[in-house]
Amino acid sequence: MNVRERLGRVASIDGLAIALALAAAVIYFSFASPFFMTGENIRNLLIQSLFIILLAAGMTFTLVTGGFDLSVGSVTGLSAAMTLMSLMNGAPLAAGILAGVATGVVAGAINGFFIAVLKINGFIVTLASLSIGAGMLQVITSQVQLTGVDSQAFAALTKGSFLGVPTGLWITLVIVGVLEWVLLATPFGRGLFALGTNREAAFLAGTNVRRLTFSVYLISGTVAGAAGVLLASHLNSVQPGLGQGYELSAIAAAVLGGIALSGGRGSVWRSVVGALFLATLSQGLQLIGVDPMWFNIVTGASIVIAVAFDRGIQRLVAVQLASAAAKGAPARHTAPDPSDGSVSVAEDAGQKLPALPVPGPTAQGAGEAESGSSLSVARNM
Amino acid sequence: MAASSSVANASASRWGRLLQNPSSGALALVMVLAIAMSVAFPGFATGVNAGNVANQMVFVLLLALGMTVVLITGGIDLSVGSVMGLSAAVGAYVILSGVPLIFGLVAAVAAGAFLGWINGLMITRLGLPDFIATLAMLGVARGLLFLWTNGVPMNGYMLPEYYVIAGLQQPFGFITVPILLALVAVLAIAGMLKWTSFGRHAYGVGSNPQAAQLSSVPVTRIKVQAYVVSGLMAGLTGMLMAGRTSTVAPTMGIGYEIAAIAAAIIGGAALTGGRGTAFGAVVGALVLSITANAINISGVSSTWQQVVTGMVLLVAVVFDRVSSILRDRSTRLKTRLAHT
Repeated sequence: MNVRERLGRVASIDGLAIALALAAAVIYFSFASPFFMTGENIRNLLIQSLFIILLAAGMTFTLVTGGFDLSVGSVTGLSAAMTLMSLMNGAPLAAGILAGVATGVVAGAINGFFIAVLKINGFIVTLASLSIGAGMLQVITSQVQLTGVDSQAFAALTKGSFLGVPTGLWITLVIVGVLEWVLLATPFGRGLFALGTNREAAFLAGTNVRRLTFSVYLISGTVAGAAGVLLASHLNSVQPGLGQGYELSAIAAAVLGGIALSGGRGSVWRSVVGALFLATLSQGLQLIGVDPMWFNIVTGASIVIAVAFDRGIQRLVAVQLASAAAKGAPARHTAPDPSDGSVSVAEDAGQKLPALPVPGPTAQGAGEAESGSSLSVARNM
Repeated sequence: MAASSSVANASASRWGRLLQNPSSGALALVMVLAIAMSVAFPGFATGVNAGNVANQMVFVLLLALGMTVVLITGGIDLSVGSVMGLSAAVGAYVILSGVPLIFGLVAAVAAGAFLGWINGLMITRLGLPDFIATLAMLGVARGLLFLWTNGVPMNGYMLPEYYVIAGLQQPFGFITVPILLALVAVLAIAGMLKWTSFGRHAYGVGSNPQAAQLSSVPVTRIKVQAYVVSGLMAGLTGMLMAGRTSTVAPTMGIGYEIAAIAAAIIGGAALTGGRGTAFGAVVGALVLSITANAINISGVSSTWQQVVTGMVLLVAVVFDRVSSILRDRSTRLKTRLAHT
């Protein structure tokens, strides 16, 4: 095993890169600013990152199946508005929470219906629901001033403390834990990976593609609804435009955590680490005196770097696999020697034509839906 | 199709083809809406209002034209709203530095094209998925704009000729310079798609990139060019919008990518690539503009605007889905007939 292979093997450990990046950021900022490693600051950082953590965890589900949910930000904003509006109208706390979560459930079910049942491209559907959700938030806030409620119990939903840790963090931990368990330890979760890895094969193996696709959007919407409830409790006021751009951060967090956009790879904790990394970066940059307006740029740039890095690693892994295959089957001398850096023909074509092998969730689904000549299998999925 | 198709059959299939044309549903929607509106509101079917609609649709139309080209090659450009804002700021900055107006206008368009080129490079050279690269550009360009302007709107760049170019002064009645520019852009894009090798290759790259690559189509170059066209259109839109609003707010163009994608999709372009026309983009922009105008005239609060845009987009994709199912069915029927 040469150095290159060894490096590749270490670098391809799932989640290692982002965990190291997070550690590096934390160490750097604690040296750069005396205020970073204070209990107060860490507490603020965690509370502010709750929402992106939740959205990134929900986004992991859609990404694992090769899908995509652009609507989470506006669903979060709308759910926050619904919760606050119910509470301001005198509804009990439980009803207010229910209103917010139900908003997310409905939004997720609508997305899921159009995508899984009508088989319309998920990208367009969630783009439309982004627009509808943000628009409804605007309509609501133009008619009702959502300036908050005077409720200790509601505020305690995020700001309360249990064993020295904010309640909001406990709630998030529980949700994230359940999601991780569902994704990694249940047949449902394994079905999602199968779906994301090879849709057609999953269908032929008897997976209920329609039900699974519907479920991931339902999960993503529900989690966004929960995030909205916590956000309403945290801010205790709702403005038009709340949640705008959260989808960008959530996707960035998931991608930073190494969740493949082509589906079939990912875990919730890695998205969470990605979200923590973004939050640390944002908080740290502010503490060392960088204009907060840099944050958008940093988020965007980190997406590009993360995806490019991930592709680099995948290429390394592919080289390794090819070389392992060559070693395992020495009879195939006709195959090009992968150890000199060249890759197999299919791999090569893939790398030179990036639009091809990574169609991403944008092209999937609709491709099956629209090409009339595709297999009848595809039509039934 | 069976060789024995009669004249009646041909005319029936012409109707069928029209019904299956993706943008015909949108066109029908516009007509129904327009008729209903002119019956219900006398202020709708007037020359002045038509002028309003035309002047309003220019921005989305230009963005949708660029988006259509990108969609045809199988890509997507989420960054147009941000690119439009940043380009407008570049134009305003150049004008404020005291050079003649034309340099500012060219700078805005060039800035858009440059950002589009960066998009293209990220996608083809770094191998990023289209929507990730342009999503990142959406964040970065918006961030740069905020950082550069410090969150304060730019103004004071309005030279007298800019009023004419942006259509605020109308020397030829309701036909303003932006409308003429949009007309030129529609013809240019339509011509480019139909008669240049770029156009033919773009459809090829979008419908089957592998086949295009194997037929030695310069896939990378075509993709980059498509993003340059989209960026250029965003720059042009930003330039016109800066003139129309006389100020460049750091939030300029937010959400315009949704309108642009909606218009292109309503006009029959598909995310799967290989489909879409300049005429379709016009129909799509018209649908959005007329619904917005109808909301305005019927006295519904303009806060509903965004909700309606989303719903129109949803209706359009559902219609497209249905029409593609119908298309499938009729193709299968025809093959079966041909075999018997």
